[in-house]
Formats: sequence, structure tokens, C-alpha cells
Amino acid sequence: MLNLSSFVQKAQQLLDPNQGLNITDSDRNPSKASLFQAQFRLPASQHPLYEITAELTIPLANATQSDRDRERGYQYAGKLHLSESYLCFSTTPSSFLQSASTPTSSIFTGQTHGGGPGGNGFTFPLSSIRRVERLHSQNFQFALAISTWNGISQEAAKDKDRKDLREQRITIQLASSRQACERFCDGLKKGLRTNVGNVTKLKKVVSECYSEYLLRPEEQKNATPPDAGLGLMFKYPGDPKKLRDRAKMRLWAEYLRDNGRNATLIRQPTFHKLIRVGLPNRLRGEMWELTSGSLYLRLENPTLYADTLAKHSGMESLAIDEIEKDLNRSLPEYPGFQSEEGIGRLRRVLTAYSWVNADVGYCQAMNIVVAALLIYMSEAQAFFLLSALCDRLVPGYYSTTMYGTLLDQKVFESLVEKTMPILWEHLVKSDVQLSVVSLPWFLSLYINSMPLVFAFRVLDVFFVEGPKVLFQVGLAILRINGEELLDAADDGAFISVLKSYFARLDESAHPKSENPKLRAVTRFQELMVVAFKEFSAITHNSITELRLKNKDAVLNNIESFAKRTAIRNLGPDSKLLSADELAALYDRFYGVLYERQQRDHIIKQEQARRAKNSRSRAAAEAHDESIEKGRVGLGPSTSLMDYDAFREFLAGMSKWAISDAPSTPRRETMGDRQAGFYASFRRSDATLSPWGAGPEPADHEFLQRLFGKWDVGSASALTLQNVVSGMARIKGKRDIMGTINYFFELHDDDGDGRVDREGILRMSEALLFLSRRGLEGTLSPSSSSLALSTDNVNGGGDNPGQSINERFLGSVSAFIRRCFEYADPDHPQNQNAIQDVQERLDAQKLEHSGGEELADPDAFAIGDDDDEDDDLLTMESPSQSPKTAAVRPDKKIGQPPELQLNSSSAGLSPDDDMSARRRVSKAQSVKANAALDPSNPLHITLPTFRMVVLADELLEQFFESSFPASFHILEGLASSTTPTSGSSLTTFSSLGIGAGRAVNAALGGAAGGPGAPAGGRGLRGVLDNIVTDGMRVAAEVRRRMEEAQRELEKNALPGQRNEEDDDEEDDDVGLGRPSGAGKSGAYSGDAERRSVRSSDRDLLTGADAEASDATVVAAGRASGSPEGGSGGNGAGNEPGKGTGAGKVVGVEFDG
Amino acid sequence: MADSSAPKPSSSVKLVLLGEAAVGKSSLVLRFVNNDFQENKEPTIGAAFLTQKCNLPTRTIKFEIWDTAGQERFASLAPMYYRNAQAALVVYDLTKPTSLIKAKHWVAELQRQASPGIVIALVGNKLDLTNDSAGADGEGAGGGDGEDARKVTTEEAKTYAEEEGLLFFETSAKTGYNVTEVFTAIANAIPETSLKTARGPGASAAAARTEEQRVNLNGPRDPNAKEGCAC
Repeated sequence: MLNLSSFVQKAQQLLDPNQGLNITDSDRNPSKASLFQAQFRLPASQHPLYEITAELTIPLANATQSDRDRERGYQYAGKLHLSESYLCFSTTPSSFLQSASTPTSSIFTGQTHGGGPGGNGFTFPLSSIRRVERLHSQNFQFALAISTWNGISQEAAKDKDRKDLREQRITIQLASSRQACERFCDGLKKGLRTNVGNVTKLKKVVSECYSEYLLRPEEQKNATPPDAGLGLMFKYPGDPKKLRDRAKMRLWAEYLRDNGRNATLIRQPTFHKLIRVGLPNRLRGEMWELTSGSLYLRLENPTLYADTLAKHSGMESLAIDEIEKDLNRSLPEYPGFQSEEGIGRLRRVLTAYSWVNADVGYCQAMNIVVAALLIYMSEAQAFFLLSALCDRLVPGYYSTTMYGTLLDQKVFESLVEKTMPILWEHLVKSDVQLSVVSLPWFLSLYINSMPLVFAFRVLDVFFVEGPKVLFQVGLAILRINGEELLDAADDGAFISVLKSYFARLDESAHPKSENPKLRAVTRFQELMVVAFKEFSAITHNSITELRLKNKDAVLNNIESFAKRTAIRNLGPDSKLLSADELAALYDRFYGVLYERQQRDHIIKQEQARRAKNSRSRAAAEAHDESIEKGRVGLGPSTSLMDYDAFREFLAGMSKWAISDAPSTPRRETMGDRQAGFYASFRRSDATLSPWGAGPEPADHEFLQRLFGKWDVGSASALTLQNVVSGMARIKGKRDIMGTINYFFELHDDDGDGRVDREGILRMSEALLFLSRRGLEGTLSPSSSSLALSTDNVNGGGDNPGQSINERFLGSVSAFIRRCFEYADPDHPQNQNAIQDVQERLDAQKLEHSGGEELADPDAFAIGDDDDEDDDLLTMESPSQSPKTAAVRPDKKIGQPPELQLNSSSAGLSPDDDMSARRRVSKAQSVKANAALDPSNPLHITLPTFRMVVLADELLEQFFESSFPASFHILEGLASSTTPTSGSSLTTFSSLGIGAGRAVNAALGGAAGGPGAPAGGRGLRGVLDNIVTDGMRVAAEVRRRMEEAQRELEKNALPGQRNEEDDDEEDDDVGLGRPSGAGKSGAYSGDAERRSVRSSDRDLLTGADAEASDATVVAAGRASGSPEGGSGGNGAGNEPGKGTGAGKVVGVEFDG
Repeated sequence: MADSSAPKPSSSVKLVLLGEAAVGKSSLVLRFVNNDFQENKEPTIGAAFLTQKCNLPTRTIKFEIWDTAGQERFASLAPMYYRNAQAALVVYDLTKPTSLIKAKHWVAELQRQASPGIVIALVGNKLDLTNDSAGADGEGAGGGDGEDARKVTTEEAKTYAEEEGLLFFETSAKTGYNVTEVFTAIANAIPETSLKTARGPGASAAAARTEEQRVNLNGPRDPNAKEGCAC
């Protein structure tokens, strides 16, 4: 049942249209558990397990009276609740329905309106119950007699004959069906049994309560009183005579004797009355602890305070520094805080709390509140009461953004407007901001505003009745001073009116009255009467509602302030970007972090829920506690972006950063996530995917480089500052040289101003990666090409836009060629034999991972790791060039490279012929051979790189505008970023070039030919998947060049044509591809060849030929190996689905 | 000071103090308003409100001083206090370089968000902890006698102040050095025009009426009124 109800709740949350409003579900639909905890002030570990209508009978005060009197007693009808460790009774109706919501929770109409232990009843820890008997009753089916440990020591209990043993004994009659009663009693039995071990703990905890001392038996007359605060040592504030402390103490002693003390106290109407007239000094701490519920926190973990101090002894923190600054200035007028004793207690309590709640840490005003508490209670008591304050009574008041404080100011203002419209109008007219006056009232709970004795009277009521008391008192202050305030016309006058009022609170409210009784009424008494009579309509509910109404605006305010401040403090780099861009970057940065956190939370919650299927409480609990985090306005949230978040961040801005195919993990998570059940919920797919509703970000070596470059502190995480600085260097300067330099630096790993052979290939891979969805920005030859990214799904041959992208591919190949052509040789050196072996191993690993790449994109990262290892080696022997060797293992040093390459992929026999053949042709280009020869390391420098880039119009334009323009900081921020995920790729494959073969092969017979509409999406998925892989893209470059080379050779030797066709045939067989598709692939390959020939023929010199030879192997590896083929197949089916799902989700999310 | 104010025109100026926690904002105000110094000054919750007059040869300026809380998390409350302010005192601790960075942030915030034409003074406090103060008795957190605790050079702060067009002073709230000078300089820097429009009509009348209830500027402090309390 519990499980189902929590699912229903979950469903409501998911369907809640207000989700986007940042009002959390726990605000709007407080869970049954949280209502229960709030009503009885119980810790979060307690959940309402059973409830039953019941009638409570409390015997008349004096238990030694005759039986006749005992029969009558006090009777209360209400509800009895059972949680894990508590038995609670309250006369206020409960609302713990299956799906508690605001309307139902407003049924609370008790004195505290759901905000505290309202009405009459009790909150017994099960460990305080000594015995439960079932009574015979005529009226009801079930009647239980409950006797408690109240005032009974365990030793005394053994002595059955003791006469002075007065047992607290109450009777509860259950009014429900027999079954329900049985169930409840079973639960109670179980609970009592599990809690039997806690009796000693309870005894120890309550022994620190002053009431135990107050009501101690005769023989302990000389016992030392428990710590009732600094007041015992330094005197309590105020004149005890004037406070009538002795009389109050007598009344309380009587009440406690009759109705139980501390944990076993029963609340009757007198209890509430006694609190309203002010607590006696020595009992004040205990009553605060009891009514706030912090006693139950202490009971739950009695040693937490001491343990925390011990655990963190000697440690330092920012909070501790802040605490130290304020220790000497917390209620300095109270003698206790002029002593080392008082200061020491204050230090320990504040420090301990800053450790257990590091998110809050320390906030000025806490020192004042805790100092006040310490006058009346022990350190441990104050520590737990501070917890209760921060978590429940004044949530968010002391958080790092103080949103609770600001929110309650807004609530207070709207209450003033509603209840005192004339005064409000006056405030508005004279431009007085109310909160400059009222904020300190709330923040320091009036302790800093009123004389202490009166502030403590407010606190007495506050702890039992909840935060509404702060509002009632505040409104009463304004009401009483209304006349004078209407005369005050500025902040200063306003403040002085109130200041003088507070200074005279002890004076008579009616000094001129004839009636001596009226004359005796002090201004403070008047204040209390006005607060609780005139403003009795201010309830916990009205406060909650107003908080809900204002919460979003307040958070937005805080966030825009935080944003403003953060942006302004970003340092000189930020000046390169426009204010709009900075704002957008800020939004994107925190947006991604927040989204990820929320998603992570929901996913974790789901896991917890499934893990603890028997009890949904774990998940519900986690939900209540931490859903509030993450939003900037709510306080501490993560402000560091890890690599995954960075990918997501970029994917929101740049087309190229979006993955071409969702990874398999996503699908797996969904499958294993009871998809059937959740499929019916909106957004569930989106929220449960690791990437949410947005597109899945790509993972590419270029992204890793960019991340590393931006991560200035090498912290593996980016701050907003890092992101802005990084972005400023790309987008900020808008000069081509800057961008070219940046791109070069990005690939210059060791920062020596040289990029080696492998680096050159990486650069070209990066260029292809960045351009695979089309180029952006201003491209002069045909600006229509800007639109090209949407329409060439099936690789139609005559799209005008194609030419640009096609030409860009050409430019990249020319780039590689030129780089090698103009590269400077390093000093030739002998290869270290050991290193050579190592490299070969690495290369094999790389080779292997290359085969798996289709199935698992992460494999690329693995290969890259190997590379990193190589980098380390390089550092040790910088003059060698192991990287090249790592990728293309050279078993036979000194031989032409192409042969080595072939030998490394031994499975591809057809290529052997070719390479042998090619070796002949390569003889003509010895110079270029040398350039590719790993035994002849080479590098390019920045000037060379610049020259090579500027030599090509398209590359120049790429660096001039395309690359910077591809970061869309501003565009599409508000709307979903999904649309781009479906956009087509401009790649070799989508152009219908040679790679089409591999694609079709991967699809196998499942999808039709490349032109078939049904296969379109699946085809794209495969294309995407292939292109994601940077290595593969490079392979395509090389392959394409090789084809061009073949073309040349063909022209030279027409007779070889057949042989080449055979090659293709072999490839096809190896891949198990249907021949029909093969033909179309071959066809498109032809088309490509032609286009290459026309645009690049002039570039195809000997160097090209060399490069193209390398591609034979690389391409063969990619498409020829069986693993590659099958991996491609698996991946090929999936991305189609993935993209489809992503789209649908996106639409729904938008709606 | 009510004695000499009769003939001269009087106008009130809203002044806000900003700066990192424990740089001595409240102490500066206390020195200026009461010519007093307390070692253990209660931290400001939200903001404290005080007034003090400043007699210039031609006019009297009545400062309405908003002394804000310095702890970082109170920063989001600051706009509430610097709203409509005509002058601001941005204070840093010249023994603590981070406090100058924070001060710069405040200056930027004020220049962007506060009323245009706000007069800003940058004040380096705790000069008594440095060697260049005559009566430095080296008291304070680890200041150490004879050892110069200064961490922010006059030049650095001054250059920055000049760049941003701020008034600049180094003060000691403890010894009182330069404190009155800061306020006088601000009073002089407030343009005549902004004084006339500073408050709505009737404001001065109300202010005059409540005058006697305000902080007693010269006498001993009322023991009942808590220090730095806003109300």
C-alpha cells in the first residue's frame, strides 16, 4: 500500500504542470510523513505507520484519590498514531491521507495548525512506555491501559512494594473495526519490543532534563541539578521577583507531577496556558527542547554533539574563522558571555553545528540565537535545538543565500499589506522599506530587538506554536505603533519609533487608566494579547501559502543578484564577451549543473526506491531532504563542472558537440527501469536518461583537449571563471590569428610550439569533427551553404550546399598534405628498442579498441588513454616521436611506412597486393615517404600551421568565422536544445561517398538501400555513429585520398581497374553485405571519386599518395574486421530509436 | 551639535557602509557617531541605522548611516540598504588583502546598481596595526608589536581609487585617525543638486520632529539600547 501511494504521489509530481516553476513538490504536496513529523515534531526517521481513532482518558490529577474519582478523569477524542519509535496522540484532526496535498493538510485546525504539537495529547517515545494492558471494556472493543516510566527509576521499579511509586497510567479506547484495532495493537507490540533496548538511553537523556531534578524523590534531595544553562551560574536575565519565577515554578511542578514530565508529558489545555504566561527560568530550556522536538533529536542520537566535537577536534574551516570573529560579540551584555565559560560553550555549539550542517555552516545571528539558548540549556540541548531551528522552524534563514529570511520578509510585507492597508500605503508612499526594520526581528528571533526577558517570552510561544508567532508578534508591533508610524516619513524616523517602543516594553500600557488592573498591564502583555488575539487568523497555513506564493520570486531575485555579482567578478577575460553572452554563459553553466543534479537525484531516488521496495520511505525521505538543493538561490550548490557536464554544456551550444548516436548505456538504463510502468508518465524518459531531455553530448578527443585547456588549475573541473575565460579566447577576440593560435595551442601538448605527426592528424580529425554537421558563419563562395545542414540526409548529389562541405573535406585533406610537406624534421634518432615494443603493444590495444568503437564510444577514450601513456614517454625522451609509432606500429624500421601499416592489420589480404603495387608507385615520391616515415620524426610550428591554414580559403574562413560562430552562446537558450540533435551531418558518408559501403554493410539486410525512406533514420544513425569516431573520420580522409590516388594510377595504368574492383568485392564479402547495397555504395564511391578529382586533382602529389596509402589500412580496419561489422550492426539499429525517442521527449518537455 | 545648526541649511544624506566582515565598519561608524570604540562590537544583523551631523562651513549635512552586515551571505540583502543611498563607504582591512578584493566587488556593484552619482569612498581601516600609525599598539589578531601587519600598500589602493574615481582614506577606528575626515570629505563631495532632491517633501519636517529621539550624539550611550541594533 505504502508503495503504491508513493507511486501515485510520484506520478502527481511528474504530472504537475507547476514543475517548471521551481516550487518543489515537497512544498506543494507535503508528504504524509512530513506532515506527521511536523505535527509531533519528530525526527525525519519517523513515519506514520498506523493510525486509529481513539479516546484518551487521563485519570484525575491525584492518583491516590478514591476509585470513584479515578473513573472520571479527563477525556479527549482524537487520533492515535504509531511510528517506528513513537506513540502519539493528538486531538487535532489528522490529515494523513494516502495522498496528502494542500487542501487536505489545511484540515489542521489545532492551536498550531499543523505546525507543532497542537491540541491535547502526548508524544511518547515507545521506550518510555513501561507496560500496555488490554482492558475489558463494554463500550469499545479495545481499550488499552498504558503506563509509563515517568518518574520511575529502573531500580525502583523492581521494588514492587514501594508506596511512593506513583505510576503514570492512561487509558486509550480504540474506536475502529476490530481488524484495524488488532492491526494497530500488533504494530504497537512490535514497536515496543524493538524499543525495549532504548529504555536505558531514554533514562540517560531525560536525566539531563531539569524536571527530573525538580520532581526528584525525597532520598535524592541533595542531588546536583542538571545543567540548566549559564543562568544557573551567572543568573538568569531579568528580576526573578518581577518575573514571578517562583510562582511559575510551583505551577509547573504541579502540572508536571500530574501530567508527566519531559518525554512522558501529556499536553492539556493548562500546558498551553502556562507557556503563554512565560516559562520559569530553570524549566525554560527543557520546555523549549520538548516543544520544539529537539528532545527527540537528542534521544535519537544522544552522543552526536560530543562525537562531532571529538571527531573534528583541531580541524579548521571557514565557518570556524567566522565564528571566532563573533564569539566576543554575542550578547556581550550578559555576564555569562564575558566569561571564558560562556564563550567556550558558544564556540563549541556553533562549531559542532557547522560540522554537522556544513551547507549552512555559520551565519551571523546564529551566534545571538545560540547565546540566548545557552543561558537556559546545556550545550548538547542547544546544539539539537539549533538543528531543529535551521531544519524546521526557520528553514533557510541561515542558509548561504538566506532565502528563508528574504522569503519571510516578503510574506511579512504581504501580511502587513493585507491587515494594515493604511500603514502599508504610507510605507509605500514615503518609500520606507519595511524589511530594513523587520528583518533583524525574524533573523535573530527578536532576541536582538527586544530586551532579553521579553524576547524569551516570545520564544516560549514560538517553540510550541511555530514560525507563525514571529509574524503575529511583528504585526502586533506595527499595529500598536500604527499612529506614530504613520507620522514617520523615512527609514530613520520609522526605526526610532520602534526603538523607543522596544525600550519601554516593561512600562504600563495604560499608565493613565483609572482601573488599577488595567494600569498593571504592561506594554509587553498588550503586545502578546494583540499578537495572539487580534492576529489569531495568522495560521501556519496562511504562512505556508504565502511562502509558496512568493518563493519563486524571491529565489529569482537572489539568483539574479548572484548572477550579477558572479558575472561582474569574472575578471578581465570576461570583458571580451558581451554582457548578454556572459549572462547566457552563466545561465547555461548553472543550468547544466542544476539539471544534472536534479537528474542524478531522481535517478538515485529511483534506485533507492527499487532497492527498498518493501518500504518506500527511504526514497521519500531522501526526497524531502535534498530535493531543495541545487538551485542557486537555495544555497550551496555545486559550482564545478566536470567533463561530462562540460560535454552537456557544449552540446547545448554547438551542433558538433552533440553525439551522433546515443550511447548504449542510455538504453540499458531505460530497459531496466520498469519501462512499462514509467512509460505512462510524462517526462519520465527524459528525466531518467542520464542526459535528461537534451541531446546526448558527443565525446571526442577534441572535447577532452578543450576541457583540459580550459581547466587551468588542472582540477578536472571547470569553474564559471574557467568557462568564461576559455570561451573568451575563442569567441572574444574575433580575429583569425587568435583563433588559429588557439587551435594550435590546443594540440601542442607539451607547449613547445611544435605539433608532431600525430598532432597533425589529430588536428585534421578535429577539423572534421567540428565540421561534420556543416559549417557555420560566413562562407564567401556560396552563402546558401548555411542551410545545408538540414537536407542532405540521403546524400543527394546535387545539393548546392554540398559543394562547400565537400570542399571543406578537400581542404582538410590538403591541410594534412601541406602540413607534412612543410613540416620540419626533428633530429633523427635511434628508436629505443624497449620503447618500441611497448609502443607496439599500445598500438595493438588501440587497434583492438578501434574495432569496438562502433559498439562502444568509450572505447575511443581507452585508446586515448594509451596515447596519454605515450605522452608520458614522450616527456621522458622528447626528441623521439613515439606517438606516430603508437598508432602505426613500425615493425620494420626503415621500410616504407605503408608496408608496415599493412602488416599490422594482417587480416586484410587484398591490401597487401595493393600496397606492394603501390610501393612501386611510391618510389616516385621519396621525399614524401620521408615525411611519413616514423623513423624521421617531424613537426610543424605555429607559423607553418598558420601558413597552411591561410593557404586554403575554406580553412581560413573556418578559423575566421565558422569555428567561433559554432558556439551559440545566446541562441536557443530558453527553448529546448533538442532540435539540433536530429540535424544531419555533413560527412563523407552522408554525402554518399565511399563510406556508404560500410554503412550499408553495417545495416545488413535490415534496412533497404540507402535511398529507401524506411532506412533513412537508421542509416543516419549508422552514419552518425561512424562519424562520431574521430579515428574513423581520419581514416575516411585517408581513404578518400587513396581513392583519388588510385584514380590517378588508373589513369596511368588502365589495366588495373579490374583488380581494384576485386578489392571492393572482397570488402563486401567480408562484411556480409547484400550485393544491391554494395552496388549503390560503389556507385556513390564513384561519385565521390569524381568530385575529388575535379576539386583536388591539382593537390594530389606524391605526398598525397603516401597519405592515401595509410588510409587503406585504416579504412580496412574500420570496415573490414568482423567485429567492426557486427558492432556497427548493433549500433546501427539503436541510434535510430534513440534519436526518435529523444525527439518525442523533447517535444513533450517543451509542451 | 544642535547649537550651531540654526542658521545654516541642513539636508540629510543616506550613507551606506559596505565591506567584508570584521573590517571595522561598525567601529568606524561608532567612532564617527559617538567618538567611541568597543573591542567587542556585536555583529550587525541585517543593518544598523545611526545618524550623525556633519557641519560644513556653508551647510549642515545629516548623515543617515546604514551600517550593513559584512558576512558574505548577507551580501544579497545589501541592495535593500544601498537603495537610494547618496554616499557609500566601502571599507577594507589593510592587513587583509582579500578584503580589498571584496571592496572592489562592492565598488563595482555600487557603480552598476546604486543610484547614479553616488559618492563612494574607499577606506582602508585598522591603520593602528601598521607601523606608519603614530600610536600603533599592535593589538589585534596576530598583529604583533613592532611588526608591520600591513598587507595592502597605500599605493595599490590609492591607484585603484583614482582609476575608479573614489575618495580614498586610510583610517583607524581605534585611534580615531582620519575618521571624521572621511565623512567630511564625503559631505563635501555630495553635489548640491542631489541634496535638494534627496528626500521627498515633508521628510525634513518629520526628521526634525524625531530629532530628539535619535541617538544622543555626545552623551554617554544609553545602557538599555543594544549596540548596533536596527530598532
